[in-house]
Amino acid sequence: MKFKSLLLSTLIMASTAAMAEPSHRVFISNEKSDSVSVIDMKTNAVIKTINVGERPRGIGLSPDGDKLYIAVSEENAIAVVDLKTLQLEKKLDAGDDPETFDVAPNGYIYLSNEDDAQASVIDPKSGKVIETIPVGIEPEGVAVSPDGSLVLVTSESTNMVHVIDTAKHKVVKNILVAARPRGLAFNSDGSLAYSTSEVGNEVTVIDTKSLSIIKKASIDLKNSKPMDIKVSPDGKTLYVTTGRGNSVAVLDADTLEMKANVPVGKRVWGLGMSKDGSTLYTADGVSSTVSVVDTKTNKAIKTIEVGQFPWGVAVDD
Amino acid sequence: MINIKKLALLIVFIWPSVLLAETMEVTLLYVGPTDSQAWAGSQQGLDEANLQGQFLGQNYQIKSVTMKELQDLPASNMTAILVDASKKNVLSLAQDAKYSQVPIFNLTSTDDALRSACVPNLFNILPSDQMDKDAIAQWQAKNPDIAVKAQAWHEDFVKFAASQLNKRFKRNHNVNMTDDAWAGWASVKMISDTVARTESIKSTSLLEHLKNDLSFDGQKGDTATFRETGQLRQIVLLVNDKNEIVAEAPLRGVKNGLDSLGKTTCQ
Repeated sequence: MKFKSLLLSTLIMASTAAMAEPSHRVFISNEKSDSVSVIDMKTNAVIKTINVGERPRGIGLSPDGDKLYIAVSEENAIAVVDLKTLQLEKKLDAGDDPETFDVAPNGYIYLSNEDDAQASVIDPKSGKVIETIPVGIEPEGVAVSPDGSLVLVTSESTNMVHVIDTAKHKVVKNILVAARPRGLAFNSDGSLAYSTSEVGNEVTVIDTKSLSIIKKASIDLKNSKPMDIKVSPDGKTLYVTTGRGNSVAVLDADTLEMKANVPVGKRVWGLGMSKDGSTLYTADGVSSTVSVVDTKTNKAIKTIEVGQFPWGVAVDD
Repeated sequence: MINIKKLALLIVFIWPSVLLAETMEVTLLYVGPTDSQAWAGSQQGLDEANLQGQFLGQNYQIKSVTMKELQDLPASNMTAILVDASKKNVLSLAQDAKYSQVPIFNLTSTDDALRSACVPNLFNILPSDQMDKDAIAQWQAKNPDIAVKAQAWHEDFVKFAASQLNKRFKRNHNVNMTDDAWAGWASVKMISDTVARTESIKSTSLLEHLKNDLSFDGQKGDTATFRETGQLRQIVLLVNDKNEIVAEAPLRGVKNGLDSLGKTTCQ
């Protein structure tokens, strides 16, 4: 009995050791300030600004929650920040002009190299680019499916969503979508993926089994330029930042009809969501703010000053 | 016996895959000099069309032809004709009944006469002289003392991913992208985007799509469409005497947005 409980507690300890306690912080990359703003989720205040390198854009967390990764585009690198100390630890070679990325469950970083029409795969353990995969021109958004089997990459000037099989690291399908595709997101079970098209002003729904488009619709808003996208944990609601539309469009995930439009700061790009789906954080590029949106009321409840041209959002909760 | 069986098997298994793997060959005809910016721009568009084509099984080429060689080719086999020529030559080509079902892209002439002619198969890529004048007038209404000129494109243009296009053109051609080069690039890109979506190289389906369904990303802002005059809707850049971009027309607050520039209808 004693032995059993000892074994159990050891197991529990081992698993918590592998998975770092969430820091309950939001991290914002500031493209023009070369920094990351660290926001405390309880107080919605900036508690630290970390200098990470030239032109930080894409931002994300390691699966174990220990590290923060930031694509520093002008330095052709991924900056690694230790989440315990909030110190810049090192920089990994990321190929030419890394723009944005997603991290797979196995820890690999899949990123888009904007100037080279390719996606790169980095193993953070070795710090090496282990694969480069040709895609369309100006690759932008990257999303890894929840089970890690598929990676989607949008190419802005080729108007495609490229589907990469992670077992082979090969493109297995190319899906034409509306002009200038940007953001990508999977629903939580990975059965559907969503892409946004900035110039075409469209949201596209892709069935991940057949890898084909099952629905698309434009966002009925003046100046709408769809950018980043998130899916609510229950899969029923989509949140889309609208760029020059200066808002977050709230869409029904099935019908793609707009349920609400939440005004935020100017030229809104990146979007983050708390795990429970209750709170959104938007990077308001031209306003140099982050707006905090309550998804129950669909209202911005707080505006936080950050660095210049906030670009991406990562939520550690 | 066995060999025949094998052969039959081979045919059964290989033939469908040959059919599936068949590449769609797309040939665009080009009338005009090949040492020009318009030509270089079309070559940039060609590279990008083929990059997309490799994912979709489409292969593009641009064939330079003289006016005489063009006349000897049957119009039924043509997909599109790109033209870098004078107003007079563009007009006579576009109004020739032989090419009435073939889209003709006017890459370089900004003459208003090519817009007011309202030829159904003529597509004018650069802003017309009238659009430029209207853009300058909008600027002068707000800034009386500062002289500017109007351009379709500029090598320092950054917004709307213009910087990425400038960068890759310069990398491939060792010169800055000019208006003519942008027009060459844009023409090939909108043709390849149409072929990708319609999966057809027929000139008539290209015509149909360009007129009714085009939603083109010219890397200079809003989605670009054609007016009934055959003029591509687009912003105009205003550049001062130090070669700096000072504004984009339509200027902020001007009514009718893009349609505040130039003649919008055939009436």
